[in-house]
Amino acid sequence: MHVIVCVKQVPDPEIPPSSFKVDEAAKKVVPPPGVAAVVSQFDEIAVEAAMRIKDAQSDTKVTVLSMGPASAYDAIKKGLAMGSDEGVHLLDDAFEDGDAYTTAQTLAAAIQKLGDYDLILCGRQAVDWDMGVTGSALAEVLGIPSITFAKDVQVRDGSVVVERVFPDSFETVEAALPALVTISNELGEPRYPKLQQIMQAARKQVTKWSAADLGLDPSQLGASGVRLSLDRLYVPVSEIECEFVEGETPEEAAQKLAEKLREAKLV
Amino acid sequence: MAPSTAFPGNIFYYLILVGFVGFFIAAVAVRIVPFLEAKRVNRLDSMPQRVWGVVLFVLGQLRLLRHGYMYSGILHALIFWGFVVLLIRSINLLLGGFHEDASLQSLLRDVYTVYRPVMDLFNVVVIVGVIMAGINRVFIRPARLTLNIDAWFILGLIFFLMVSDVLGNSAEISMERGGADYVSFWAFGLANLWDRLGFEGLGLELMHSALWYSHVIFLLGFLCYLPFSKHSHILTVLFNVFFRTTRPSGVLQPIPNIEEQEVFGVGQVSNFTWKQILDFYTCTECGRCEINCPAFLTDKALSPKRIMHDMRYVVEQEVRSLTPLGSRSETKREPKSLIESVGFEVIWDCVTCGACQYQCPVFNEHVPALQDLRRYLVMDEANMPETAAATLMQLEQRGHPWRGTQFTRTDWMEGMDIPTFDGSQEYLYWVGCTGALVDRNIPITQALARLLTEAGISFGCLGEEETCSGDPARRMGNEYLFQLQAQQTIEVWKAKGVKKVITNCPHCFNTFKHEYPQFDGHFEVIHHAELLAQLLKEGKLRAKNGLAGRIAYHDSCYLGRHNNIYQAPREVIAALPKAQFIEFPRNRANGFCCGAGGGHMWVEETPGQRINNARTQEAQEAGAQIIATACPFCVQMFEDGIPAVEPDEEKRMKTMDIAELLQASVAAEPTRAAAAEPASPPSQEQEGGSS
Repeated sequence: MHVIVCVKQVPDPEIPPSSFKVDEAAKKVVPPPGVAAVVSQFDEIAVEAAMRIKDAQSDTKVTVLSMGPASAYDAIKKGLAMGSDEGVHLLDDAFEDGDAYTTAQTLAAAIQKLGDYDLILCGRQAVDWDMGVTGSALAEVLGIPSITFAKDVQVRDGSVVVERVFPDSFETVEAALPALVTISNELGEPRYPKLQQIMQAARKQVTKWSAADLGLDPSQLGASGVRLSLDRLYVPVSEIECEFVEGETPEEAAQKLAEKLREAKLV
Repeated sequence: MAPSTAFPGNIFYYLILVGFVGFFIAAVAVRIVPFLEAKRVNRLDSMPQRVWGVVLFVLGQLRLLRHGYMYSGILHALIFWGFVVLLIRSINLLLGGFHEDASLQSLLRDVYTVYRPVMDLFNVVVIVGVIMAGINRVFIRPARLTLNIDAWFILGLIFFLMVSDVLGNSAEISMERGGADYVSFWAFGLANLWDRLGFEGLGLELMHSALWYSHVIFLLGFLCYLPFSKHSHILTVLFNVFFRTTRPSGVLQPIPNIEEQEVFGVGQVSNFTWKQILDFYTCTECGRCEINCPAFLTDKALSPKRIMHDMRYVVEQEVRSLTPLGSRSETKREPKSLIESVGFEVIWDCVTCGACQYQCPVFNEHVPALQDLRRYLVMDEANMPETAAATLMQLEQRGHPWRGTQFTRTDWMEGMDIPTFDGSQEYLYWVGCTGALVDRNIPITQALARLLTEAGISFGCLGEEETCSGDPARRMGNEYLFQLQAQQTIEVWKAKGVKKVITNCPHCFNTFKHEYPQFDGHFEVIHHAELLAQLLKEGKLRAKNGLAGRIAYHDSCYLGRHNNIYQAPREVIAALPKAQFIEFPRNRANGFCCGAGGGHMWVEETPGQRINNARTQEAQEAGAQIIATACPFCVQMFEDGIPAVEPDEEKRMKTMDIAELLQASVAAEPTRAAAAEPASPPSQEQEGGSS
């Protein structure tokens, strides 16, 4: 059993809003100084899902795959520390500034190069752009079934049984392997690695592949191959007006509040 | 003359000796095995301090004779001193059992004669002590005591030994009149009574023999019982006090070469140091630790007394498996693992406040032992409360524990002229994560920066270059992360030429001062409480009007108990002209934790009353209007505690850092105009300031 988990390193989504800045002219996010990038939250949970499969079936091999700049190495290490067996880092300037389409193409090439695989796990969406399409696009390129928003993943007899999350319900679906599943936060918290594992992870070799290693044409990759164009990038201005409704008695204040709300057509 | 000096008594005596002493040696020998297998630790530094400690705390019984425990302390001292004095008589008795000339009485003659009345006196002293102990257990019944049969057994034994000693002695005097027997005044008096009653001949001899043999048997039996009972402290306490730690109580020891270790914490007996095992055998279950433990007093699972007992149980389990008796009983009961025996919740309940250690009469070190178990859970097992895991991950990823903060490390500086530390300033002002990133603490940081500026102190800050000191990671059991963070900060400081550091966080302070030297980081560290007191003394800061009201000062554990800084913050408050200083009932070394120590600022509190509420309640009952403190965590805990204990917003106390109090006072106009007291809490002056 070979499980491949795709992880993405993202700018820390938990920085204070005041330090989030964009360069509107370049249409890029300005990384705040001194803030380290983190593993996208749902991707960490995807690693956790892989580990749970490994816990149940000890002959499972888990490979962490990440496309990104040199710092994405840390995201792979995190996956290794949680218990993954191997790491693959897709590192090439040609991969930069792509969209979901070029990313899916690149990841698919790497997965095909890895060869034998049974299950591919992705986070339901990356917490930077929150588009949530790379996973499904990857399944499309590979020509395998795709199941999204999983809160539970079980592998049995050549198929995967997935519990999916909806706003008001759950759905259990089954697909033949190989298949791709995107993981939602309802699956649970990612495990805290044991120190021994962190140290072993530090010693593990991570395979690095460039566009040439994958036999991909750089003109189809990254910024050159995008099918999505960004029109404008800006931080919306949110204005909040706060007004206190006063009254002699609580009843009077409530009545005035109700009137105000009615005026604003909110009730 | 002892009845054992002639046949067949001598055979009987030898049999008794071989049997009991052999048993005792075997029982002790098998218990030495875990000590030999334990980790090594050097406890031979500061020899004069160690010897002096034995004089004060073993011979002097100083830790027992503390206010609040005087009755128990006195009764223990009476029994202990009696034991020491009467040890001579016991040696005399056992030696005399071989041959009359072998006894101390024969060997030392006059010297022994002079000593005899002292021993008779102490027979009574011990009996008084035993009776006091009985009264303690029957009538006074302090909640801290484990009222079990073990204690009664030992008290009974001691009582019998005293009585049989005097009676046996009296029979001997009656049988062999002559010499200076009158100096043994009790025995002599009784001997005269026997004479007057006409008690003599065979009857007297039989009584003497019976008392002599039973005294010897009970004495040796007592010795054999010790290794199995909590009274083993009689054998170990001298060593435990001698080998006690000489380091400040808030310091944890590093794991050396951590990357080469196979086990990081303590998961089984052999991971303990020999001194820790000695602690378990020295605990007498007096419970002073328990009734001062904030976790225990708020109904958590932790009792420092019980963990000592539970850890000893696991050691004993191993000891028993080494004996023929134990290998049989093992089939009956599954051996419990160390972690199971102590308990997951218990390990996480500790706030590392050190109250247990401060109270322990035998200098046991509860906190490091619990921390070692935590290290095992976190680093070896990755088994911890979710909140702890989340905090550790947060620390790893973002270098501060405040997930979701809306502030950057430089936001507090806005509108202030705060220089960046570049090596040209005298002091680095280390703001700390909490001082920069938590809403409530930002005004405290600003107040201190204003005071430093006002006093003309040359200082600079690191801004975004600050990261966590490592204290939370270390207290939450992740020594590896702590070492990384400590080394990183030390490197930055050294590169920037930092020599002196001011901090307003006692936790950072403790770590910088005592734990960074473990990694070759030697800096002069000063807490703002000390610095402000010094600046007031030097006249560089002058408190004017400022706040009025009853101010109670809460001792932060890491400033107070762990670093003995009690006076400086009180001096700062005393300098406020209109403030009325009051003490918490539990103050200074007896202070009660706010509940945030040991990583508990972030780890969810388990059942029972919240510790901060208990402490806030105490302040309210003491009549405080302002709870002053000198720790950013304490402030936050009181901010939470105050609304919890006082639903009426009007009547609520305030909590303020001493820097805020002083800054408000320094900035105030030196007039009596009420308008010139911008930071003064409204309504409090009218309410109680004049009382």
